[in-house]
Amino acid sequence: MRLAVMTLFDRIARRQLILVLGKGGVGKSVLAAVLAHSLAARGRRTLLLEVDPRENLHQLLDVAPSGGEIVEVGHRLHLQNLKPQRVVDWIVEKQLKIGLLVRRVLASPIYPRFVEGAPGLLQLAVLGHALRLVRGDMVRAPAIDTVILDAPATGHGIYLLTAPSLVRDAIHQGPVAGLAGEVASFVDDPERTGLCVVTQAEEMPVQEALELRHDLFDKVGRGPELLVVNGLYPEPSAHGPDDELTTLWRRRRRVNDVELERLDRDWDGPRVDLPLLPVDSGPELVRTLTDLFEQGVEELEDGGK
Amino acid sequence: MDLASPHPPLVVVVGGGGVGKTTLAASMGLVSAEAGHRTLVMTFDPSLRLKDALGVGAAAKDEAVPVPGSDRGTAGSGSLEASLLDARLTFDRLVARYAPDEAARERILTNPFYDHLAGHLAGILEYMAVERLYEVAREGRYDRVILDTPPTSQAIEFLDAPQRIVDFLDSGALKIALKDWFDEGGHLRAVPTSLGFLSRGIEKFLDRVVGVQLLRDMSEFFQAFEPMFAGFRQRAEHTKELLASRDTLFVLVTGPGEARIPDTLFFARRLRETGHRLGPVVVNRVHPQLLAGDQAADDEGRRLFEWLGERHQRGLEQLRTLMSPDQTLVALPLTPDEPTDLESLAAFGQRFQQAVSDSS
Repeated sequence: MRLAVMTLFDRIARRQLILVLGKGGVGKSVLAAVLAHSLAARGRRTLLLEVDPRENLHQLLDVAPSGGEIVEVGHRLHLQNLKPQRVVDWIVEKQLKIGLLVRRVLASPIYPRFVEGAPGLLQLAVLGHALRLVRGDMVRAPAIDTVILDAPATGHGIYLLTAPSLVRDAIHQGPVAGLAGEVASFVDDPERTGLCVVTQAEEMPVQEALELRHDLFDKVGRGPELLVVNGLYPEPSAHGPDDELTTLWRRRRRVNDVELERLDRDWDGPRVDLPLLPVDSGPELVRTLTDLFEQGVEELEDGGK
Repeated sequence: MDLASPHPPLVVVVGGGGVGKTTLAASMGLVSAEAGHRTLVMTFDPSLRLKDALGVGAAAKDEAVPVPGSDRGTAGSGSLEASLLDARLTFDRLVARYAPDEAARERILTNPFYDHLAGHLAGILEYMAVERLYEVAREGRYDRVILDTPPTSQAIEFLDAPQRIVDFLDSGALKIALKDWFDEGGHLRAVPTSLGFLSRGIEKFLDRVVGVQLLRDMSEFFQAFEPMFAGFRQRAEHTKELLASRDTLFVLVTGPGEARIPDTLFFARRLRETGHRLGPVVVNRVHPQLLAGDQAADDEGRRLFEWLGERHQRGLEQLRTLMSPDQTLVALPLTPDEPTDLESLAAFGQRFQQAVSDSS
């Protein structure tokens, strides 16, 4: 048992792509940054990939907004805020080749609507970008071993994983079908693409995390390899005063405990719990949580849970 | 805003994900029903316990059902019903209702492109919510309808949804899609059109990039859909008018802390600029400020609560300074437990109403 869990971190560190999934407001971006720091410290050349048009991650790492470029933010650590539309532009350029034709298509008012409306195209663009990065297909990009994707918060994140095979099955020939096929085998391969779910120990987020886990088994045939529970109130001591504050604290922690018990019961797989900290969002928070996260993983390995 | 009075008949609860919109919408519904109004709460994604409290299981999907036990203590004709919205069901129902005949209906519902589009077109969930609001408002069965908006990350997406649909219907994409792309054998026609080079470029792009099958599905879908476009467009315009009318009041819910302030300000300003009426801005789950007498069982907890209380207070003050002075701002303290049964929901609703009355 001990041996099997000893390798949890090594397993995760071998992945080429890690999708960090979860609803908005649970601390998904912070966790993506924590994972990226952990992997970089373990020798992986890591890229933290964000697709939110409103850049956030640079604040957590205390660097200037990258404006879409790949920027170095630490030892073996890079950050990029990706505009999926630009990846689709790149596909157009590559396929049409003739400059005038490319400019006509890109300038057409119909084109952005098409990109928005065509099912799966944006998801394919983001994942295809990650695949090209780890494969070293991009001439001017740094060498990358692992991409950590701070997945968009809309929906349950499942569509990100199913889109490539849907596109592959819908389109039978041509270069996009080829790309969709490659990306589908990339994300379908548990050795190459890992899934990490972030939640908080409250009713709705836990319910959604459990639903996500169920949908993952149902639609992609495998579950997440790690669950991170974020923002736990500390355990109050049993003999504190009975003032209002302590009562509030005890009851909120009780909500956490009820949901942790539910996860014990219904979530089969490694879980790391992280506390709510009196620290403002920024590099200090990421540093502190990275230490706690690594401790948590070690405890998992020692405890054989 | 006073839920005891009959105005406003339509309340739209907006806000980012995970701020407690659904709980507040349900609580407001109870207060409204208790004051004697026939009230409907339309919601998307309630927690299991809230679903139980409202009596909306999967079986009640998209149908209004009476909330069990909500008639206790309601004055006169007051009642509360709840419905669980489902974007796909609403879309299917619209198709069923407006398709010119059975064959057209089947052509759309079984089209693979519709299958994708109905679930994944950007803004479709938001649009279908307003669509349902419009439908229910027109039926006139309720004195008040409270709409809990979909759990998107940004409130602004909700406001833009009807316009996005109108834009999509008006865009050249449809004109192109409606052209006769395929011959009887299902093969792409070679069509030099009035759009000339541009059209050939796009055609070539579509063919190369997404392949012929998807193009064929899209073309079939849009052609089957064509007779319904005018109706859809008109309804989208009506829903836009309804949202901007004097009958509709927006309640903007947000969480405490400074990180959410820019989004809140942005949305409040956009609402005003676009002629919508913004009711109270609600900052939910505010941690209490520590008083001198508070003990807390040990240092760790005390430090955390001190920090949270101080940060949340600072966020509130900043928001108050930055919002226009006539804007009602309501802070709701973090409750020891989430209100999930009718009794605690009603109490939460009363506290909300009291706080609104106190601060306006």
